[in-house]
Amino acid sequence: MEKKKILIVEDEATLQKSLSEFLALEGFEVLNAMDGEAGTEEAKKSLPDLILLDIILPKKDGYEVIEDLKMDGKTKDIPIILLSNLGGSEDVEKAFSLGITTYLVKSDYKLEDVSRKIKEALKMED
Amino acid sequence: MKIINDLNIKKQAKDLGISIWYTPSFLFLVMGLLSVVLMTAIYLISKNYDSPEIVVVAESLAVAIIFIIGTSIIKGVEQVARLNKLKSEFISVASHQLRTPLSAIKWETEILLSKYSKGLDKRQLSSMENIRSLTFRMSKLVNDLLDVARIEQGRFVFKKEKVDINTVIKDVLKESGILIRSKNIKVVFKEKKLPKFWGDPEKIKLVLDNLIGNAIKYMTQRGRMDIDAKRVQGFMVCSVKDNGVGIPSEQQKHIFDKFFRSDNAVRYQTDGTGLGLFIAKNVVEQSGGKIWFESKEDIGTIFYFSLPLTPKKK
Repeated sequence: MEKKKILIVEDEATLQKSLSEFLALEGFEVLNAMDGEAGTEEAKKSLPDLILLDIILPKKDGYEVIEDLKMDGKTKDIPIILLSNLGGSEDVEKAFSLGITTYLVKSDYKLEDVSRKIKEALKMED
Repeated sequence: MKIINDLNIKKQAKDLGISIWYTPSFLFLVMGLLSVVLMTAIYLISKNYDSPEIVVVAESLAVAIIFIIGTSIIKGVEQVARLNKLKSEFISVASHQLRTPLSAIKWETEILLSKYSKGLDKRQLSSMENIRSLTFRMSKLVNDLLDVARIEQGRFVFKKEKVDINTVIKDVLKESGILIRSKNIKVVFKEKKLPKFWGDPEKIKLVLDNLIGNAIKYMTQRGRMDIDAKRVQGFMVCSVKDNGVGIPSEQQKHIFDKFFRSDNAVRYQTDGTGLGLFIAKNVVEQSGGKIWFESKEDIGTIFYFSLPLTPKKK
């Protein structure tokens, strides 16, 4: 089976590194972007199977990235998992209203859980 | 007793963290006394001087003085409100900033343990396991603090989803599985058929997490935990019973207070923030339910909470 392509948009270098390394070891093809603008561009260019997106990002925040991608016909159906440390109910509601697939609070989740959520969203067999 | 306390201005100023000149009760006292003095003065002036101008000047002066003090009172109250807001904001920002490095530590530890543990000896592995469980504990503390800050800011928003209480209970039990097994606790939970209702499953899970977590924490030996969920009229009543150390009767009225921990809780188990039951009570009451308990020291504790079986989304 062809490797699924995951785009990680995360500005915190350590988090991005452990996450992308873990997912690569789990058999995904991993792309990285360190800010909202680069993330939007990369998504439109490489059309990943799924996007892991942080909310607080330089240049363009996560909400703006979602709005942008949902407006573009090519990217509007890519599932987005929001990965943030905000986790306040109002942030979650806002993100869901924009059409994300699910929301994970980074400090509550193990890498293993993140990987499982990705597989669920992509409806992959383990 | 309360009146004397209220009149203890110095203590009040210290408690509120503001200067004595801004303490509302002090300013009210001054204003009261001044009003009496000024009224007497105006009365005397109008009696002794037969000129309306002097009376008008005296009246204006009195109004000006009261106005100045009134402004001080408003300033004092504003300052208290501002400090309170600052405190909540501080907790939010600090907790959020803490979460990022915490997540990094957690994920780095996990990747080391799950993907690169080959070559580590037993001692090194046990160190890593300790780091992992301590990070978990710290995350829980940070989350609790954030929840409390949200409760105090009135920003504790509830989602409305279909809740199946049996699923929530089973989830919590599954997640506590390691602890339950490590303490050899017998868990009794007979699932009943119950209607689904509208509520916030994550918040209800938080309540059960705290109650079940406490039950596990405070059981010493031959632990047995009984969990039950049943329908009582328009409510779903859930209970968690343990045969643990119990809550001393003189401390029972404080257990829902923020940061409160009973003496024997500290004696048996040092890990704990005193925030769990405060959060649980807030969640249950904001959902329209009640939380209560019965407890006997050295016998055990049973916690109950009720939630309205709201059939429709509001």
